[in-house]
Amino acid sequence: MSCPEIPIWIHSESLFRIAIPGFKLPPSSLRAVGVYASGAIFSLGFYAMLDAALYSSHKNGSTVHVRFFPDWLPLLFSCIGMLVINLVEKARLQSALTGGSSFSSGEDWQAKVVLFLGFAFLAGGMASSIAVLVLKYALPGYSMPTLGMGVANVICNASVMVSCVLLWVAQNIEDEYSYSLSL
Amino acid sequence: MVQISPLSKIITLSTVLATGFLLIILSCALWNNWLPLIVVAVFCLAPAPNAICQSWAGQDDFMSESSSTVVDFGRFSTGFMVVSGLSIPVMLAHNSIINTAAMWMSLSGGLLIYATIITFGAFFYEPEEF
Repeated sequence: MSCPEIPIWIHSESLFRIAIPGFKLPPSSLRAVGVYASGAIFSLGFYAMLDAALYSSHKNGSTVHVRFFPDWLPLLFSCIGMLVINLVEKARLQSALTGGSSFSSGEDWQAKVVLFLGFAFLAGGMASSIAVLVLKYALPGYSMPTLGMGVANVICNASVMVSCVLLWVAQNIEDEYSYSLSL
Repeated sequence: MVQISPLSKIITLSTVLATGFLLIILSCALWNNWLPLIVVAVFCLAPAPNAICQSWAGQDDFMSESSSTVVDFGRFSTGFMVVSGLSIPVMLAHNSIINTAAMWMSLSGGLLIYATIITFGAFFYEPEEF
């Protein structure tokens, strides 16, 4: 009695049981594609917000306008958070999160605190954009073309968040790959 | 793989580039609204951060952590600028600052210019011999 054949599409190394056929990229180009896509998504979010601002100044039928104070502040928070998260040195973060001994444990809390601040800024930008949508546009009961400015704000901050996550994941793909090569 | 002589490559690319510039300048001049010229600037600047960062990071022989970070920043800003070159005309046309036909003309012209720059780099790219 022979053992049953293992089908081609099942790889024991991959995360899922079924690998998607025709989607095999080397990790270096996968990283490049991820970083390009991250920049593209960030750009989409920024221009969604700029579109809302131009709409407010050119085609606006209502008295509500996009101002710096409530409307652009969430984007500012999200951008600060994205900068902080991506400026943390990855090696120190690895040692801080896994408890490695490459740095002294007295310096580990710095990386953790900075990363926490970054994620807090990112989540704060997202939450404050939803707050602006609710408090400035939804609660006074404005209808759709005016409400669209608040929706664009939420879209903008959500895409900045997605872009940050993509950048983070794409930068960690290669690290794990080269780590597995070095073993 | 058909071998194309470099002269015909250059002639074809310059023709396509001139067509792209013609489309964008027409999209500005026909409606007397010179805002779509931003697209030219964005698409001409789009390959620049990638090239600068890669040559700057290529000074190291090995792939160190800082150089890969620099390359990633170049890729991020290239993706940002390509999508902004596509979305600036759409945004201007959505708010009726420029005409919709001007949006289509400047979009196609910008894509032609960017494709010219990319294929020019790909045609005359010679990998280093080790």
